[in-house]
Amino acid sequence: MIITIANTVIIVSGISGFLAFLLVLAEKFFANYGECKIDINGKKELVIEGGSSLLASLNENKIFLASACGGRGSCGFCKCTVKSGGGPLLPTEKPFLNSQEINKGVRLACQIKVKEDLQIEIPEEIFNIRKFKAEVSQIRNFTYDIKELTLKLIEPNEIDFKAGQYVQLEAPPYEKSKHSVTRAYSIASSPLHKDYIQLIIRRVPDGICTTYIFDYLQQGDNINFTGPFGDFIIRDTQSDMLFVAGGSGKAPIKSMLEYLQNQGSKRRMIYMFGARTKDDLYLTEEFRELEEKLADFTYVPVLSKPKEGTDWQGKTGYIPPYFPEYIKDPQNTEAYLCGSPGMIAAVKKGLLENGVSEDKIYYDSF
Amino acid sequence: MKETPQEKKIHENMKAGVLTMHGFLGDDDRHFHEIIAEDKAALEKLGLSCYQIADKLQQITDKAYNSYQDSILLDDKLLVSYNSVRGKTICPFGHPGGYPKGEIKLKNLENGRTIVWTPLNIHMIREHCFFEGEGSKHRLDPQIIKKTLF
Amino acid sequence: MELNPFVIFIAAIFTSNILLTNFLGMCSFLSVSKEIESSLGLGFAVVFVMTFTSAINYAVYHYILVPLDIVYLQYIIFIIVIAAFVQLTEMVIERFSPVLYYSLGIFLPLITVNCAILGISLFMVIREYNFVQSVAFGAGGGLGWLLAILALAGIRAKVNYKFVPTGLQGAGLSLIITGLMALGFIGFSGIVVIQ
Repeated sequence: MIITIANTVIIVSGISGFLAFLLVLAEKFFANYGECKIDINGKKELVIEGGSSLLASLNENKIFLASACGGRGSCGFCKCTVKSGGGPLLPTEKPFLNSQEINKGVRLACQIKVKEDLQIEIPEEIFNIRKFKAEVSQIRNFTYDIKELTLKLIEPNEIDFKAGQYVQLEAPPYEKSKHSVTRAYSIASSPLHKDYIQLIIRRVPDGICTTYIFDYLQQGDNINFTGPFGDFIIRDTQSDMLFVAGGSGKAPIKSMLEYLQNQGSKRRMIYMFGARTKDDLYLTEEFRELEEKLADFTYVPVLSKPKEGTDWQGKTGYIPPYFPEYIKDPQNTEAYLCGSPGMIAAVKKGLLENGVSEDKIYYDSF
Repeated sequence: MKETPQEKKIHENMKAGVLTMHGFLGDDDRHFHEIIAEDKAALEKLGLSCYQIADKLQQITDKAYNSYQDSILLDDKLLVSYNSVRGKTICPFGHPGGYPKGEIKLKNLENGRTIVWTPLNIHMIREHCFFEGEGSKHRLDPQIIKKTLF
Repeated sequence: MELNPFVIFIAAIFTSNILLTNFLGMCSFLSVSKEIESSLGLGFAVVFVMTFTSAINYAVYHYILVPLDIVYLQYIIFIIVIAAFVQLTEMVIERFSPVLYYSLGIFLPLITVNCAILGISLFMVIREYNFVQSVAFGAGGGLGWLLAILALAGIRAKVNYKFVPTGLQGAGLSLIITGLMALGFIGFSGIVVIQ
């Protein structure tokens, strides 16, 4: 009896062991793609261990394509042009690409598994994007739902960006979130300070990332971000500048104004900030000071619903009706907008009605 | 019941803390197929289709979109406000693309009923006939939609 | 037991359809038959795995289990072999054909625990088939399974547009349809019967 049991156990484990060994061997043979070369724009060559996705392989080598879904193939941001290699187009990629892109060889980097040498093309700016590790050195409350984070860079310890660009902050998995998530936030500090950045963040109800920042992140914690991204930057002309922002949209405009002040810009600038009540206003003193420091700058907060009985002396209602008052020369005005998509749509409409040309209205569309 | 790998992925996406903090299923322990099937049956009884509802919600959303920060009154009885937020969210069914974040609140002044939805809800109703699970924050019960909108 | 392998092949598809006469592989049959496309994918994966595992398990049975006198272990050993084979296939497909991997490979893990596959291996032993007969039986069984799931998926696609009483929705009506299909397949039994 015991011998039978022992025999059985030995034979079953023997066969299982043999099959497991076979599988390990097969994995070595089939799933081992060896070293693959990735040629980027014909300028840079990476040698990587094959087997993982192109997106992950590039990330490992500090080349960061934009990605919002973390390689799940559902955001379609990580597009790049594959000149050779990469295999056939997969059904998972097709919905994200139009026929022009397919003809050009555009692929989703997260869906391509690196199995052979690849030749790819990506926009030049992407080389400037880095992953940063930073320490939260200060958290300031601006209003009941807006905070400012100061992130002191640890590794690398300097960042080069243009005023108006944004970074992707990474919230690690926590109590209420199973995966780490990344969200985009504009940089509020001046590009002249290279050793830290400041972000102005507004709490999104039930937002995975903002809840982490508001309820879990503490001063002294470390946090990772990638950047800088974006082409919402100051156009180098002599046109008048009209800034319109709402909510946390102050961030990139603050960065721009501080930079312009440092450059001694003489351009005519108006900054209209839309908020609901007086409680939603912040950094007012700082912008009043900038009015003194800049040659020709006016700060115009506009409240849509000032509470009854408060001593609000400023403008009330919506921003667009005030455009005729502040736009002197519509043909010669650049508009920089930052805020929620709804606000941008409304403001853009107002600007077009007032004669500002569409190609001079700039905003981030995320 | 066994799930195909795609269904497994969809199911995972719907759980709390994966795509959104509270997920799409609420405290409903039915499978999402059952939720969809039961809502479809309910719609049939009400004489409505998913497209009709999605179209109506889209219409209202578009009208509210341009009036940021404030509410608008539609048909003299629907008070709508659109709280638009930056950023995009993705469809748990794996549809390509992003859907704007933000919330649309609607109050029917005649009977006092309120419903809340997001742009993603409109997509999920149109393409998947999915109204979210019972107890989910953006659950849109066909009965209540009918009473509020139609 | 000297049946022509071709006869076994035909019989396994129609008269002794593993799904409709033995009701094996029912769980994935019901849950994956919602769309024609995925049922086709799963169906072909089953054909492939059944054919090869019946061949491998034939060898395992006659050259390992019988000589070692451990035939009573056939259930466990067959399952292990099937699981290992499926793993291996997945690796090979992923390496050589990413497109095929996306249409077929994603169903492979689902097959490891499909009882129809084990059933084929066990029937092959009980009915004392030789090697060629076993392979024909495996391939036929797989095709029969594919045929059945494809038919159900087609019918369910139609049912989707019809009114179904609440209590019958989903698996309920599918089981009734499967029963009717099984009755229909009995009509083939005039051709040849292997049991």
